[in-house]
Amino acid sequence: MDITALDQPELAGEIIDVIVKEGMVDREKATLDATIESLDLKSIDIVMILTAIEEKFDVYIPMDGPFHDAKNVADLINAITNHITKEKSKPDA
Amino acid sequence: MRDARRIIVTGMGAVSAAGLGAPALWHAAREGRSCIGKAQFPRPYRGRIKIAAQVRDFDPAAHVTPAELPFCDPVTQYLFAAAEEALAQAGLAQAKPMGPRTATIIGTGIGGMHTLDNGLHLAIVEHGRPDPLTVPRLIPSACPTQLSIRYGTTGPCFAVASACSSATQAIGIALQLIRAGAVDRAIVGGTEDCVTNSAMLAWEALRVLTPDYCRPFSDGRNGMVLGAGAAVFILEEAECARVRGATPIVEIAGYGTSTDAKDPVRPDAQGAAACMRNTLADAGLDAEEIDYVNAHGTGTTANDMTESEALGLVFGKRRLPVSSTKPIHGHGLGAAGALELVVTIGAVCENVAPPTINWRGVDPKCPVDPVPNEARPMRIQAALSNSFAFGGINASLAVRRAEAA
Repeated sequence: MDITALDQPELAGEIIDVIVKEGMVDREKATLDATIESLDLKSIDIVMILTAIEEKFDVYIPMDGPFHDAKNVADLINAITNHITKEKSKPDA
Repeated sequence: MRDARRIIVTGMGAVSAAGLGAPALWHAAREGRSCIGKAQFPRPYRGRIKIAAQVRDFDPAAHVTPAELPFCDPVTQYLFAAAEEALAQAGLAQAKPMGPRTATIIGTGIGGMHTLDNGLHLAIVEHGRPDPLTVPRLIPSACPTQLSIRYGTTGPCFAVASACSSATQAIGIALQLIRAGAVDRAIVGGTEDCVTNSAMLAWEALRVLTPDYCRPFSDGRNGMVLGAGAAVFILEEAECARVRGATPIVEIAGYGTSTDAKDPVRPDAQGAAACMRNTLADAGLDAEEIDYVNAHGTGTTANDMTESEALGLVFGKRRLPVSSTKPIHGHGLGAAGALELVVTIGAVCENVAPPTINWRGVDPKCPVDPVPNEARPMRIQAALSNSFAFGGINASLAVRRAEAA
């Protein structure tokens, strides 16, 4: 089963920090149900966010994952949380 | 005014992942044969994207003299080979010096990327002594100036550096110079080789490279593949070419360009549509007269969606055959428009729309007829070739069958 933001509130909080910083978004607007569009996050902003996530959590995020299909902040956080958790649970991680 | 001076192509040449020669490139495109493979680098490479359409087994000594070689990055070497082929076909191999009525205009996004990569590694990592010819070899303008020196072309000479629209703009501006009467002939085209260690890593960081297959306009597409190479064309004013008995291959009927003025990386459908409309107007062609479009079609989510929308704005609901041959020869960046003009000319000359390979299903956001997976024999009197670049620079060329000219 996929792990969601609600299962790991601490990790979700850290991811929101990255979205706010790299996406240059107002923190109050970065709610879970805020759409990517309403935050004016363009594809290059998502690139910057994913790159910062890779740096911060020392994971590789493939470019053909579900990250680019995220419709809102919750989707994005879930996709990232799920990926980080899977990567970190690999035996060689 | 346009009717006064028509511009024809009398020769073309190419070096690409398909090998040496314009025919090799066209045949690979027509047959849907991908030339992408595992990328090779002179030093250890840590990138996660392992594939590219590199020029392989190129022998510089076969095309570049020992005196020229120290001044030639691989991009200039490819250009020499492509120019030799183009001038031979045009019947101008012995026409040296070509003089002040010939322009030399070459598009390249970066210029000597291999020289940069090697030079920086030598200087910063190895603390070595730089090659004294590093600068003259890497400057983008080395591409056209080396040609001018070899062929004695003393007319206008410059490089166009408009990223992925470079070659198309170089060819287009030459068309305008000939049409305006500033010159009678031009050696034009594009060249690029950014398949180097650092450039591949930089492209990977942008997250636009596919780890597996480039599948333009297709459901499930996930990015582009870098390609390398060069293509050169001899453009001539039709009457000058006729007088010397040259055979026209096709007419370059029109050129159009536009600028989005919006976003450094995100393409814009309105800007792309304006570019295609400008091209049609310049060529004096109606949208209905275009039979085939060789798309920019990078295989990225954003480009293909936006280009499809733009094509809809220009051509309406008509199911116009639109293919991208980038899964064959890769995305040649500054050379892309030249490599794809070779393919577009092939399509017009042989009445075959080359396929978009690796296509596996409809993406509702790309409502075009992508000529999926197999070439389509069809009547092609006129065709369009699109190039769209970072920064929002759009450029297109319209090609028309020579006998229809």
